[in-house]
Amino acid sequence: MLRNSVDDMEITTSDLGLAARVQHLTKSYGSGAAGVRALEDISVGIRRGQFTAIMGPSGSGKSTLMHIMAGLDAPTEGRAWIGDTEITGLGDLEMTILRRRRVGFIFQAFNLVPTLDAIGNILLPFELDGRRPTAIEKARIDGLVERLGLASRLNHRPHELSGGQQQRVAIARALATAPDLVFADEPTGNLDSRSGREVLELLAAASRDHGQSIAMVTHDAIAAAHADRVLFLGDGRIVADHPRQSAEQISAYMLAAEVAA
Amino acid sequence: MTAAVGALATVVPETRSTAGRLAWLRERGMGASVLVAALAAAFGVVLVEVTAYIGATLQADPFLGDSGTLAVVVAILSVLLTAVAMYVAAVVTANTFSTIIAGRTRRIALMRLIGASARSQRAEVTGQGFVVGVIGAVVGLLIGVGFSAVGVAIGDTLLAGAPESFSLAQPGVALPVVGVALTTWLAAHIGSRRVLTVTPLQALGGSVERTHEDVTRRTGRNVGALVLIISGTALLALGVVAGLITPLGVVIAFLGGVLSFTGIVTGAVLVMPPVLRLVGRMFGRSATARLAAENALRYPERSSRMAIGVVMGVALVTMFAVALESSKALLMRQTDEPGSAEMFAPMDAFASIMMVLVAVSAVIAAVGLVNLLTIGVVQRKRELGLLRAIGLTGAQVRRMVLLEALHITVAATVTGLVLGVAYGWIAAQSLLGSVPVLPDFEPAGLVVPAVPWLPVVVIVVATALLTVIAAVAPTRLATRVAPVEALAAD
Repeated sequence: MLRNSVDDMEITTSDLGLAARVQHLTKSYGSGAAGVRALEDISVGIRRGQFTAIMGPSGSGKSTLMHIMAGLDAPTEGRAWIGDTEITGLGDLEMTILRRRRVGFIFQAFNLVPTLDAIGNILLPFELDGRRPTAIEKARIDGLVERLGLASRLNHRPHELSGGQQQRVAIARALATAPDLVFADEPTGNLDSRSGREVLELLAAASRDHGQSIAMVTHDAIAAAHADRVLFLGDGRIVADHPRQSAEQISAYMLAAEVAA
Repeated sequence: MTAAVGALATVVPETRSTAGRLAWLRERGMGASVLVAALAAAFGVVLVEVTAYIGATLQADPFLGDSGTLAVVVAILSVLLTAVAMYVAAVVTANTFSTIIAGRTRRIALMRLIGASARSQRAEVTGQGFVVGVIGAVVGLLIGVGFSAVGVAIGDTLLAGAPESFSLAQPGVALPVVGVALTTWLAAHIGSRRVLTVTPLQALGGSVERTHEDVTRRTGRNVGALVLIISGTALLALGVVAGLITPLGVVIAFLGGVLSFTGIVTGAVLVMPPVLRLVGRMFGRSATARLAAENALRYPERSSRMAIGVVMGVALVTMFAVALESSKALLMRQTDEPGSAEMFAPMDAFASIMMVLVAVSAVIAAVGLVNLLTIGVVQRKRELGLLRAIGLTGAQVRRMVLLEALHITVAATVTGLVLGVAYGWIAAQSLLGSVPVLPDFEPAGLVVPAVPWLPVVVIVVATALLTVIAAVAPTRLATRVAPVEALAAD
């Protein structure tokens, strides 16, 4: 590792084979007796090229963890990196530009800008950056549009698309910039089971075939079963870290955790 | 600009801790509606008082006492200006109420779910509009009378022929006060039309973001507007032609002006969107410009009505200025005496006074613009959060909201200037086209419209200022939207 100079011996995120990581992360809201600790000293990394699911019951801190890892929220204590860039302490502008260029987002609902058509939404990260996609990026977008079956829908506005189609447009937008990491927050929460399965298969394929790192927050065991790795959160801590599991195994684990609590 | 500052105060989010029968008055938009009604009422009251005072002054003057012409002209202008101010205020109120309804959809749906009828829900809103109108009208009356008292006191000391005892208790002030209360009521009724489309189902979770207001096709109204515009334009043309023979051409042209402008105002939804679209293209293809352009057209009815308020003010001022300037140019050709320009000094003074008076409508329009932008931001909180998440910077948010404001004011100002120049020229042409001029005292024939540049510059600078001021509060609100809070599932 030649690029580490002598006075910078810290191990970088990419040395660890990670796309993003957090260290001793704590997040609390309010203070004193009324204070709530959403995250308690969490250290974890999202492996590069993997599809990771983050699970846990409501209030376990999974969304807070994702928001901080994605640069949408600031931790109370601890550090966070996206790639080799430490994001804790970044100003709003730097953080925004970092998100624009190096993070992709897929949300449960309301993913698309309603006034722009599908292709307008897909190209938005480039346009916000004030540039046009390069030839390589253009080829990637064309490939995505093809794979996601959006070719005939590119000039439709979101309200003219079904939920599954809207989510596929959101996936195309999230993958278009080939970001370090794609965050998906309950991406199937608003979809019927068939469209949901399609979306999950597309995400899994993006990670398997194109080495895209993806972190998905979900409380759906079937969704988590598509992931290469499942992290379980409980009361602001990571309580388990499992490799790929079946939906039955995941449900059984969650049920057991629920009973134990 | 105190009005704009007042409007800023009203858009700050308020806690709803105060329960009670009038708690709804604290809702976003209500304060602005009261302010708008108060401004229109105060303006009307002051104009009534001024008209009465001028009448009394003229009567006290031994030389002018018999001639009532000036008093009549002043009275007609007062009615016209008050009507414009009331119209703009009503438009602003109707827009505000329709956006208040949009914010209340969930609650109305819940009421419908547990058994309230759509009619009763709308009646509640309309009743609130009446209360707002009454409060605004009374506040306006007090402000207007206070303002007039100061004005009269100043007038008494400055004017030699001031009337002995002028009473501020003019019965005429009841007209603008009652008028504003009623138009606000009516505006609330019109603005609350969407209550009828709220279904009980909307209370049940499924918070589908309504992206496009279902623009109900009101063909009848649009056809009516088109008929007005076409027949009005025909009369305007006829007036110009007739004006080449007789000064009475101006009567025909005046009728055409009233018809065509009414058509343009009622058909705002037909006229303004193409202009808005054109202006949107002017702003370029950057992401912020395109988003702003799309936003300005998202609720075409709302933006068009708002824009037409500004159009009215700009068109009126420009019309007077161009008509006077064109007449001046024509009349100058009647004589080659040097120094004749001095006789136009009263006309110039008149034009300046008109501009100041129409500016009141512009202030009301500014309040409406603040409201329009603010509610636009509030309604798109989640969208702004999404945009922030995927990389829209704070500066880009600011630019976007400012561009949205500019979009409407630029479209409105340009439309107003074009209409004003056209109407002003037609007025001068139809009145003076037959006047004999030098060198050989032939009728003047067609003249080129004379555009006085100073008023145009003043209008452009004023609307630019208005835009920037109106965008301050909504911009601050928009940049405060954090991606996380907006994206948290509800």
